[in-house]
Amino acid sequence: MIVDIHGHLGSPGDFFVPEPSAQWLLRMADRVGIDAIGVSHFVALNLDARRGNTMAIDLATQYPGRLGAWLVANPHDRDGDRVIADQLDVPGVWGLKVHPDFHSVPVLDRRYERYLRLAADHSVPVLSHGQTRSDYSDPADLAEVARRHPGLTLLVGHAGLWTDGFARAAELAAAQPGLHLEIAGSRLTTRWLERMVAIAGADKVLFGTDANFLDPRVGLGKVVHSRLADADRELVLGGNAVRLLGRRLPPHRQPSREQDLLGRRG
Amino acid sequence: MLVFDAHRLLGPIPSDDVTTTDLDGLVAELDHLAIDACAVSCTAEIFGDPRSEHTRETVAAWLAAEAAPTRHLTAQVIIPAGTSGWPSTPEDILGAAPALVRACPVRHHFDPLGPVARSWWRELAAHDIPVALDAGECGLPLISALAATHPRLRILVLSAGYRELRRLAELLETFPGVYIETGTLVAAGAVEWLAREYGPDRLVFGTGAPLWDDAGPRFLLDHLELPEPDVEMVAAGSARELIGERWPW
Repeated sequence: MIVDIHGHLGSPGDFFVPEPSAQWLLRMADRVGIDAIGVSHFVALNLDARRGNTMAIDLATQYPGRLGAWLVANPHDRDGDRVIADQLDVPGVWGLKVHPDFHSVPVLDRRYERYLRLAADHSVPVLSHGQTRSDYSDPADLAEVARRHPGLTLLVGHAGLWTDGFARAAELAAAQPGLHLEIAGSRLTTRWLERMVAIAGADKVLFGTDANFLDPRVGLGKVVHSRLADADRELVLGGNAVRLLGRRLPPHRQPSREQDLLGRRG
Repeated sequence: MLVFDAHRLLGPIPSDDVTTTDLDGLVAELDHLAIDACAVSCTAEIFGDPRSEHTRETVAAWLAAEAAPTRHLTAQVIIPAGTSGWPSTPEDILGAAPALVRACPVRHHFDPLGPVARSWWRELAAHDIPVALDAGECGLPLISALAATHPRLRILVLSAGYRELRRLAELLETFPGVYIETGTLVAAGAVEWLAREYGPDRLVFGTGAPLWDDAGPRFLLDHLELPEPDVEMVAAGSARELIGERWPW
């Protein structure tokens, strides 16, 4: 099974994306064999978390088993955790999304605490934007969040984004239970993917594409064409997501096309 | 389908440990991704001083490893700045009849719109030699200004990035001599959108490897939602048209 753990829908706003729709995303997923995609909505990230989260849930409901919803935790919303608490068990919800950089609130700020406790209490994963050297989301700060919340599953989005931070992010993930790397991003190369798996372990690295911000086909190609061992590639592409999402990820619709893709490599 | 990567680097890079430090390593990477051939610039000319004797010796040694190149052509880096540049005159370049050249005006601190460079661009345009410019290095406004002042010069825009589709669209709309390398066009559906709006013959497959990822763009090429002839055009046909009679395959 291939699971894209990091996706979006809607338009990002600050630049032009030709294909922002769920229909296009699912057509491309079918084209390359991605079984399911977890999405947060740009309306939730950029403007209105409550409205955007409802839109993401609606999409997950419309495409059950294909789209999952990440609910954006807005640290500026004083009652946001209460609203999200009521939504966590809606079918199709995968977990919480935090974007400390968008919201200009460091991930260690107390305003995130209530969301992180909620996620830990409900055993739902948290996908955070991660950005090396950011005042808001440096991987070392995310590792500290994982340390403070034993049992929390925390994904470092983009594995820290910048290439010069990948090794440190991988070392942090290797050392901290609960801390995982998600690999979406334009800067990632197969070379760095292989190194991250070697440092952090294949069970700590999850496939993500940042679609429809980025093109999901490009992200998948990096994993398919990497020189990872097949067992490691299977964990990265979906095995880890299946394990971490548990019952929140319905069984996939059809046998995975992973082997087809691997057969077409180079 | 012939696949030609129009944007590759050969040699070590300062920010990473890479395998494409020699031609054998380069060919191994091409084979891994089923890329038939490529255009390479030597990193010694980009990160080093193209004028220095050390660089000239290094480049000569790297490229001499293959007596009859079958998998690559060389995009020599030029600095059109007279006696402080490399080479000293455009005639030195024209004599070698390169398939294309590359220029790094910001990195090498020369004025691409100044009088010396203008004379070079006129010569290159007159001899149908394209110039490759990295948008990440020098910015699209500068490339736009260059295209406006030299409409006959064919320009290959490298590493344009995924956030710049509006600017790229304007470039393609306004300047018929501008081509876009596809490696960093990774916004959702970007390659198909540009191909449908401006034609696949304006899009040149490339990666920027090893500084940039090559696996994703190569996988995308295999899964584009375009008619097969259009995919073939992006994969190598547009580069063949851009390079013209100097295309060796």
